[in-house]
Amino acid sequence: MLMLAGIVVLHITTIILLLVATIDNAWWITDSISTDLWGKWVLTKSEWHYTNLINYPDEYLQTVQATSVLACIFATLALFVFVAQLFTLPKGQRFTFTGILQLIACLCIMIAASIYTAEFHTSESEGGYGHSYVLAWISFVLTFLLAITYLVLRKKSE
Amino acid sequence: FVFLPSYRLICTQTCTQLCSDFASCCVNACVCLSVKFIPDFFLPVPEQSQAIVIYTGWERHALVGSDIRLSCSFFSWRWTSEDVTFSWTYRPDGSRDSISIFHYTGGVPYVDNKGPFRDRLEFVGNPGRRDGSILLKNLEFTDNGTFTCDAKNPPDIVGRPSSVRLLVFEKVPIQAGVITGAIIGVVLGLLVLIVVIYYLMRFLVARRVFSLSVSKHGKKKKEGSQQRQGPVPPADPSKIKV
Repeated sequence: MLMLAGIVVLHITTIILLLVATIDNAWWITDSISTDLWGKWVLTKSEWHYTNLINYPDEYLQTVQATSVLACIFATLALFVFVAQLFTLPKGQRFTFTGILQLIACLCIMIAASIYTAEFHTSESEGGYGHSYVLAWISFVLTFLLAITYLVLRKKSE
Repeated sequence: FVFLPSYRLICTQTCTQLCSDFASCCVNACVCLSVKFIPDFFLPVPEQSQAIVIYTGWERHALVGSDIRLSCSFFSWRWTSEDVTFSWTYRPDGSRDSISIFHYTGGVPYVDNKGPFRDRLEFVGNPGRRDGSILLKNLEFTDNGTFTCDAKNPPDIVGRPSSVRLLVFEKVPIQAGVITGAIIGVVLGLLVLIVVIYYLMRFLVARRVFSLSVSKHGKKKKEGSQQRQGPVPPADPSKIKV
């Protein structure tokens, strides 16, 4: 019972982290800029202004956007499928469908973070990776662990 | 004055593209995707509202070296006259002067034979159908600019010329979000497809197994009833009590 609650809480936390990583524009930050994935926040005279992303490699940016959104979708789907399988799975069986969905989510966020690392801000001298980027990699680890858990876990047979 | 059953055309949606058809156009260089005809009463139509309205696109994008068709058509309450004229002028980006590059009058098109478009301009319109489109071939970067079409349909000559902006790219820029949407759509579609196929296979396999097991079960029942009258297991002599 406790383990079940722990797994569900961890899964929900992972979904929240993925959503923050995808939605918040903070993959790359400098002193006055917080940018990426969807737009750029620029600090001018102590006011934040939102601008579009220009001069970015379009195809890669859109791929990162798509794969991070897909990771959120698959993680949420995995949660629903897990709850459904809790009630419908025959006893003693593994939660394979949930595990597969979570694995796909893990793959998607890995693709997103990898492409971002390889293609964006490769030659900039100042600035560093922001909290969204860090959260993306953390959720990669968490989704991977959860996927393994679902693929190994068996429904209690009494 | 002209007595007409006057209809009013109103746009019921926002306009996106070139209009070329009398029945589906509305004002100012766009086409209505749906149009409502509201019949007014038989009213005398005052001359002022009989201005000619000219339509071209708003902006056109093209690749270097490709061809592009700049379309121009007009709406006029009068029938298309034989003296209808079309004329195109070009103003390069950053310049304030415009030059005339095309003129159609008296049934004869006159294309540019001295200016920047010599040998690259062709008339592909149909004046009888109120179409005064031109074809620009082999575009160069220096062709960036504004093209203005002015059409006159005597006696309906009062109107405002319409302009279309040409942007020449080396590589056509991808519209925002097209790749994103495509990737998400394809992956989700594949997921749904795989799930459907999986459950379909399970259903079909289960049906086959069920029909097979029914026939097997029928056979087994016959054999089982025969076996019960078979040999009785021999009793253990050490356990027989005397």
